[in-house]
Amino acid sequence: MLRFIVQRLLVTALVIAVTSMVAFSLVHLTGDPAAAMAGENAAPEDVEAIRRTYGFDRPIWEQYLTWVGRFLAGDFGRSHYLKLGVGEVLAEHMPVTATLGVLALAFALGLSIPLGVAAALRPNTIVDRVALWIAVAGQALPSFLFALGLIYVFGVLLRWLPVSGDATWQHFILPSVALGYYATPAIMRLTRSGMMEALQSDHVRTARAFGLSRWRVVVRHGLRHAIIPVVSLAAVQLGFMLGGSIVIETVFSLKGLGYLAWQSIQRADIEVIQAILLVIAATYAVLTLLADILNAALDPRIRIG
Amino acid sequence: MASIASATAAPVLALSPGRVALGRTLRHGGFWVGGGILLVILVAAILAPLLTAHDPTWQDLGKRLVPPVWDARGSWEHPLGTDQLGRDYLARLIYGGRISLLIGFATVLISGAIGTALGIAAGYWGGRVDLLINFVLTIRLTLPVVLVALVVVALAGNSLTILMLVIGLLLWDRFAIVTRSATQQIASREFIVAAQAIGSSTGRILFKEILPNITGPLIVVASVELAHAILLEAALSFLGLGVQPPLFTWGLMIAEAKNQLFFRPWLIAVPGAALVALIFAINLVGDAVRDVTAPEGRA
Amino acid sequence: MTGPLLEVRGLKVEIAVPGGMTRPVRGVDFSVAAGETLAIVGESGCGKSLTSLAIMGLLPRAARLAAETIALKGLSLIGLSESGWRRLRGERIAMIFQDPMTALDPCYRIGDQMAEVLRQHRPVSAEAARQRALELLTRVGISSPEQRLTQFPHQLSGGLRQRVMIAMALLCEPELIIADEPTTALDVTIQAQILHLLAEIQRDTGIGLILISHDLGVVAGVAHRIAVMYGGEIVEIGERDAILGRPLHPYTEGLMHSIPVPGETRRGETLGFIPGTVPRQTGELTRCGFLERCPYATGRSAAGPVPLREAADGRLVRCVLPLDGSGRDPAAWTRQAEGV
Repeated sequence: MLRFIVQRLLVTALVIAVTSMVAFSLVHLTGDPAAAMAGENAAPEDVEAIRRTYGFDRPIWEQYLTWVGRFLAGDFGRSHYLKLGVGEVLAEHMPVTATLGVLALAFALGLSIPLGVAAALRPNTIVDRVALWIAVAGQALPSFLFALGLIYVFGVLLRWLPVSGDATWQHFILPSVALGYYATPAIMRLTRSGMMEALQSDHVRTARAFGLSRWRVVVRHGLRHAIIPVVSLAAVQLGFMLGGSIVIETVFSLKGLGYLAWQSIQRADIEVIQAILLVIAATYAVLTLLADILNAALDPRIRIG
Repeated sequence: MASIASATAAPVLALSPGRVALGRTLRHGGFWVGGGILLVILVAAILAPLLTAHDPTWQDLGKRLVPPVWDARGSWEHPLGTDQLGRDYLARLIYGGRISLLIGFATVLISGAIGTALGIAAGYWGGRVDLLINFVLTIRLTLPVVLVALVVVALAGNSLTILMLVIGLLLWDRFAIVTRSATQQIASREFIVAAQAIGSSTGRILFKEILPNITGPLIVVASVELAHAILLEAALSFLGLGVQPPLFTWGLMIAEAKNQLFFRPWLIAVPGAALVALIFAINLVGDAVRDVTAPEGRA
Repeated sequence: MTGPLLEVRGLKVEIAVPGGMTRPVRGVDFSVAAGETLAIVGESGCGKSLTSLAIMGLLPRAARLAAETIALKGLSLIGLSESGWRRLRGERIAMIFQDPMTALDPCYRIGDQMAEVLRQHRPVSAEAARQRALELLTRVGISSPEQRLTQFPHQLSGGLRQRVMIAMALLCEPELIIADEPTTALDVTIQAQILHLLAEIQRDTGIGLILISHDLGVVAGVAHRIAVMYGGEIVEIGERDAILGRPLHPYTEGLMHSIPVPGETRRGETLGFIPGTVPRQTGELTRCGFLERCPYATGRSAAGPVPLREAADGRLVRCVLPLDGSGRDPAAWTRQAEGV
């Protein structure tokens, strides 16, 4: 187990390192960062000045190493637009995105696991079809359109929930639903197939043959097994949600990382963009690592080899 | 001698299930419904100039926000009304599908080529090649798609070409995953082993033996990614970093109407419905192909 | 003694398949008394496992059950509610399965699984449940039971796991235990130990035991009575010594010939000696079900369905041949095996 964790840790570190290079080159090689920062109507001398100030004239690898060195030392750079340290800016926006991600995942799991279990208990019946339909029906909607639909129904027609900002917990309900709904089909399908397999297994037959209650048979001896792969999928989906939160945060004006990224892109705030890219990618890498470890920890056959 | 005989006979045998699958696809209800909707949208996009007399970019500021015909104040002159710049909404709807479809198909070609090549290589050679490609795949999955697309488009300038390239370069992961496992399953089958044994060139084996045998899953992924690409373009346009005027797509139409949500929801509902119908149709066709080629793969 | 412990009359199981109904169990009658071991023997597909699942109310959803009587001490099990079944299973009837590798839940410790069963049926504390589990693990001959309680199934050998299953079956002191091929998945030496253990427990507790096996050799040492099943019917049922001493049904005879000789054991369920396999028949039988594979078949075998007839020693046999054992030419088996 320890060996497994160490090995996965090393791979994750490598992934983050390579990802940071890709993220850095994306920002520096796809366009001219100095020109972008200076704005459209800047004089050539100003662009040159920015280039020298920020060191964009040095070789790319040198810039990268400097950046990484500063990053590792805890200096995330400075937002040229906000005139603030990137670390401060990120710390201010991070909690909103984290809250949104966790709530969205909770919504996704709360919807898709019961649906998957219900479908597996009555496969190929109307229950199965309705469950699948609930999970899949809205997937043809782009997420921003689904979000606008939620705003229209619950904010404009019914006036039940606030639709903009992040002042109270009610503000997070619609965004979480809008973000979490897109993770439901995958989780629901995996729960369903896992449950079908688990319910047909010998140990579930044993549990029934020993007169255990239906709840115990389904949850303790069925779902307990089906849930193992779902846990890793959930961690991975959370990573995807953090990456996809940019659209939802923009629609609902939630001041999270995604919203910050969108604003920073429009302001050509290079340092902030780089940092967000790296933070989101690293979070995803760490979450998949966590998924693998959790997966192993939940299965005694792996845990106790 | 026997192995040579099976080497020449087997590919023929392996193709015939494909023909059976094609026949079954053509009898699948979902395929016809989805295919029908898709055809209508495609034909409308291609024949757009014949279907409406209005120029979708012509602004008539005197006739802004005319309601659609089902509203009491609407008229048949603008069946779907006009937008905030007085442009005919029906014309914009018909023309708007063009760029969405173009981006969708172009990116699927790019991402399909990249993903299939990587997936087949990983599945066929295995070992270190597989490890390396898997690592590249992990890196790709680690990068958040929407954010990376936004950054590149913002920095490199959002021309149509760049948009297609960026989306195409980002969405190859599922192609690689699916072709890799499909190739692994096929690579050990006897007709491949036999082809290797009689000294067929690797290129011949990859293109003539493996590729034709993984078309089923490839079509399914292509349908998923076609929908994915169109949705991604719509999201980028919605965030203001997709296609730029005078070009426009349904996603951009929704973005432009975003502030009208409270009072004129139809401005969002109309392109939204078109987008949903398109995605729904693509999914139906994809599901039909999946049902027919791999029925056990259904959820 | 008043009446049997378990009484089964006219048990039928039908399963809908594309294009009709298969009838894997077609009218089975038997009873088990307290303190008795009944062995049900037959090849795979003869209906013995479905018979036991029917008694437990665990038939697959696709299967349809019909029976005149299935009763445990006068309590009818036909149409029992789900909660009625739960009070019965594990409490009054316990079941031991074929593969101890998969029958225990790999996610929970042995002690937790045993406690879960006991506490489902008895209002006892966790500690009391642990003590009871410990006691039974000791009873089934497991050394260092304390340690086993905290282990996961995959940490135990197959034989140990089957002992755990037996201990679990004994938790609530059931009246009847059904053991479905309890030794098939085990090594030969372990097989003997487990059978010995089952026989010993049966003797000490006086419970009824139904032992299901494809191998007459396995049940020979422990059964009091033997029921031989073929094609969903009982073809011969009677006292062990009578049947093993002189089988009267040709199928029983074939099974006896195929008892593995020590040293050349066979694990599979195909019978080397009787050519062919159990045929799948959908409609009602119109002749002897064993006809195709019977070396002694006569014109009368095909004349109509064969009823069970009582032989002089009290056993029942489903065969048209004389029940005194005459009319059977031993060389017929060899001739048939050689395909003459």
